[in-house]
Amino acid sequence: MRLFSNTAVLLQKELQAEFRSHELLTTASVFILIVIVLFSFTFDPTSAESKQFGPGLLWLAFLFSASLMMQPSFLKERTNDTLSALRLAISDPFAIFLAKLCANTIFLLITQLLLLLVFGVFYNVAVLSVFPQLAFVFFLGSLGISTTGTALSAISSQARMREVLLPLLLLPLLVPVLIPSAEATKALFEPEHPLRWDWLGMLIAFDVVFLTALWLFGEYLLEE
Amino acid sequence: MKNLDSVFAAYLIGWAIFFLFSLSVAKRSAGLKDEISRLKERLQESLQKGK
Amino acid sequence: MIKTGVYTFLVCALMGLTAYASFYVAPTEATMGLVQRIFYLHAPSGMVSLTAFLVSFIGSVTYLLTKKPKWDWLAVSSAEVGIAFCTVVLLTGPIWAHPAWGVWWAWDARLTSTLVLWLLYVAFLILRTMIEDHDRRALVSAFFGVFTFLDVPLVYGSIWWWRTQHPQPVVFTSAGLDPTMRKVFYLSWLSLSCLMALLVRQRYELEASREELRSLEQELEAN
Repeated sequence: MRLFSNTAVLLQKELQAEFRSHELLTTASVFILIVIVLFSFTFDPTSAESKQFGPGLLWLAFLFSASLMMQPSFLKERTNDTLSALRLAISDPFAIFLAKLCANTIFLLITQLLLLLVFGVFYNVAVLSVFPQLAFVFFLGSLGISTTGTALSAISSQARMREVLLPLLLLPLLVPVLIPSAEATKALFEPEHPLRWDWLGMLIAFDVVFLTALWLFGEYLLEE
Repeated sequence: MKNLDSVFAAYLIGWAIFFLFSLSVAKRSAGLKDEISRLKERLQESLQKGK
Repeated sequence: MIKTGVYTFLVCALMGLTAYASFYVAPTEATMGLVQRIFYLHAPSGMVSLTAFLVSFIGSVTYLLTKKPKWDWLAVSSAEVGIAFCTVVLLTGPIWAHPAWGVWWAWDARLTSTLVLWLLYVAFLILRTMIEDHDRRALVSAFFGVFTFLDVPLVYGSIWWWRTQHPQPVVFTSAGLDPTMRKVFYLSWLSLSCLMALLVRQRYELEASREELRSLEQELEAN
């Protein structure tokens, strides 16, 4: 299908650009690391407390980092004035969004899984035994974050004070991602490590709703 | 009665918010209407000058 | 259409009637006593704010589809009025909670969701102030308005389910309303809804005036 081939081409471009420079991945990873370290000063990181507070703090760190990471998505197109060229080359505007949000999901997932291992070591939480399940939860959460984040990047790139504006718009919107993700992660840190399908269902609902909304209305954001 | 104070305070604050909102909109509206009539006069003048 | 003056008088009369009913007609509640009467302002305000945000959503979607400015005016007017009603909920909540349960704020599902809702729509208004170009501002905020409203049921759902998993003893109950209480509640809901319509109309006319001013300025410049 035209949409998928266009998306694949653009996705390849996005991934190549990032893997050449590593800018986004490096800065995002270090940022999350800093936040994880700072959190250790706010409570006594015993094993029990880490399992209780850790998931929430981890997801907060992911959200803060994502709200900074999403910024360049459309900003670089505006500063380099490549957006109109993209619009001319690609007939379906949704392909542009889809490629960027897939790329952002991949970048988010990479940094999250990396920092998950660091978190496991620092806070004495067994993460390797439930790594596949955690990866699944992180994937669903990251998809939600990058769908909304990419759309809002297209918005904030057109506004003033965009560095503060993007987090301000994005973070309240992501409450229905933060809660299920943190709860599902917390459940996986428990001895029985159940996969909480009630929370995962909510994440899937969020992803479906906002992907559909972006598909229906995204083209209006790219109008000149 | 302490609780009656709370009830009065709640209703007072609630109504105050609605009133202040309406007042702020009314003030801005009045200012705009003045500005509009001024501009209409100027437009009339400049159109007549044009003739 | 009813003339504004007449409608304003009607709304004021309804609000007065509601206040009378809330204080004198509604029976005193058994457990919480007098302070429970705040419920007749607190709960309907919450429902009316959601209605205002729904109207704002309709304005946003219709603007995206038609590009007619009046829908943008409706979207922003309704959003502002919704925030006003939301503010009333967030302020009357603590005033109710403190005498009733000794805490100013309880992170119960409804109050927490209302707080997030308030933050979302305040963000909507802030976004509008950050874009200078008129048409771009309308387009971009319409899109964000759609996203924001779609988020509302998800916010409520996730917070409600989270509270269910982590229950706390302090709760705002509207359960077990006796018939007279229910009538007063509906009266309050009606009068606050009429007030919402009045405020939205007033704010909408302000936007219309702004547009008139803008076009006059453009005409003057052309001449």
